[in-house]
Amino acid sequence: MTARGAEAAETPRKAGYRHLARAVLYREFLLFVRYPANAVGGIVVSLFFFGVLFYGGQMVAGQALTDSIEGIVVGYFLWTLSVGAYSSISNDIGSEVQWGTLERHVMTPFGFAPVALLKGVAKIVRTFLTSTVILVVMIVVTGTTLELNLLTIVAVATLTIVSVLGLGLAAGGITVLYKQIGNWLNLLQFGFIVLISAPAFDLGWMRFLPLAHGSALLQRAMVDGIRLWEFSPIDLGLLVGVAVGYLVLGYVVFQYATRRARRLGVLGDY
Amino acid sequence: MTVRDDGRSASRERTGTEIDETAANSVSGGSVERSGTGAEPTDRVTDDTNRSLPARRTPAVSVTGLSKRFGDGTDAITAVDDVSLEIETGSIVGLLGPNGAGKTTLIKSILGMVFPDEGTVRIQGIDVYDRPREAYAFVDAMLEGARNDYWRLTVRENLRYFTTISGVDPDSVRGRHDRLLSQLELAEKADVPVRDLSRGMKQKVSLATVLAGGAEVIFLDEPTLGLDVESSRTLQRELRRLVEEEGLTVVLSSHDMDVVETVCDRVLIVSNGRIIADDSVDALLRGTDRHRVQISSADLIGPIVSELRNRFDAIDVEEFEIGARIDVTTDSDGLYELLARLRAADVTLERVRTVEPDLEDVFVELTSAEVRERTARRLEEDER
Repeated sequence: MTARGAEAAETPRKAGYRHLARAVLYREFLLFVRYPANAVGGIVVSLFFFGVLFYGGQMVAGQALTDSIEGIVVGYFLWTLSVGAYSSISNDIGSEVQWGTLERHVMTPFGFAPVALLKGVAKIVRTFLTSTVILVVMIVVTGTTLELNLLTIVAVATLTIVSVLGLGLAAGGITVLYKQIGNWLNLLQFGFIVLISAPAFDLGWMRFLPLAHGSALLQRAMVDGIRLWEFSPIDLGLLVGVAVGYLVLGYVVFQYATRRARRLGVLGDY
Repeated sequence: MTVRDDGRSASRERTGTEIDETAANSVSGGSVERSGTGAEPTDRVTDDTNRSLPARRTPAVSVTGLSKRFGDGTDAITAVDDVSLEIETGSIVGLLGPNGAGKTTLIKSILGMVFPDEGTVRIQGIDVYDRPREAYAFVDAMLEGARNDYWRLTVRENLRYFTTISGVDPDSVRGRHDRLLSQLELAEKADVPVRDLSRGMKQKVSLATVLAGGAEVIFLDEPTLGLDVESSRTLQRELRRLVEEEGLTVVLSSHDMDVVETVCDRVLIVSNGRIIADDSVDALLRGTDRHRVQISSADLIGPIVSELRNRFDAIDVEEFEIGARIDVTTDSDGLYELLARLRAADVTLERVRTVEPDLEDVFVELTSAEVRERTARRLEEDER
């Protein structure tokens, strides 16, 4: 059959969100395997900082650090995940603007926000892979023993970083509006260290902030071996509530910012 | 519907019935529904004289009273000023205008990338601002030339990705992708990353990704910018062929008058945010009162050449060993005056050649007339 004949027999089918998710994940996969240097570079940099933290900390704090090393490993694992989730959308939007492909993601029947969010999720999947490598190396280097219940870790860590994904969505919207601010917003990721360390102190009202409550649950899961179903409904409810709350907040900010960018005529300008 | 008298698009004209079928092409069972729900009736109707006439079809693009201002107060700039237009299905419309005339803002406003202060835009009958997601199922755009796709992915991966983004399952249009690749001479490069292709090929990949999902209306901003002559011609030829074969509607903006003259059925000239001319290329060329003559004579020397240089702005002089050749573009009065001055100076006309005006002449005439009018209006207002 000729190409033209083949086309005549074709009936274009509508793509659903399943197809969209597959397309953005596949693109992420292609870039990951085709340009591994980017991913490997990220892993090396993260491990270098952990090395400085671990060996430097041992020299300064000695036994005190060794006693709390499990917490530090889990916290650092969560931090690498959070940084990936947070910066994924705004960095992606920044890149799309530079590449000249942003408008095509705006002009889609799926809507810009759902596409941006799905692209962020695809980046999170990628971040999970790289953060897992980092986690394994940290465990080997420090000789730490952790409870690695896959279901619990994936569920708690995912819900924890969804709140940060919401912040990233808001940051992405602001990046559309003010291109240069994107880089400054990346500095916020250092604030995540405080939120992740919050469980070490009294959580209080901080449990309603992104990461803090999730970080506490992840510590209990990985250090104390608590399983997902062993957490209290209140703890799990709060984890889900914080995740959904910040995601919705980020979505609203994103929608507002992109509408304003269209009003000002700056969408896609570089 | 704009009446075209150049006959260029006659072969592409689809009948009202065909369009009706297209509009109603909402196949059940998960297939793409691309029917403009705001479509006007397309049946045949009868006029006063009982002649059967095709009823007015839904235009591919319909813009009403579109205005956009940037800034406030005295610094405000009106980028689009009360623009209304309709673009019929299956035509290629060129958008011409000097830098800063408002072409890009107009295109971005039509596409909903920029929200206007006033006005409405309908694509295939669907309001772009009220129901953007539905409207975007019909339209795609190449606003960034060769930068319109992912350079790190291969040509085919780009086609599949952007097909999905435009709302169509890429597995269902494989044949279309194969045909596009073959038509645009990209088949051999299908599995090559875009970054490894030449500029001309990158541009063609951009066009292919815009067409990959089967959009019915496409916008191309400077599609031939940066291309060499050969690549530009190939792209123009392919574009024309695709429009003829697919019944596509294309709106393209370009600085390259040759591209617009060769490819477009109709031209909109934008100046200062307004449409100052809207006609077929031929009608614009016929309607101009610009005449270009080349006159050679051994008598074209010193004083008379200086006199003509002072009198006519659009003059080129090529001096020979004896005499010279002048190339003057002017209106009817100017032409009479030119000949009178030559006669008064006893110049024997050895060779006179008239050159048909091209789109560039028309463009210069219209935009400079508009600028003159605007300046006169401003002076008048200042005097008051």
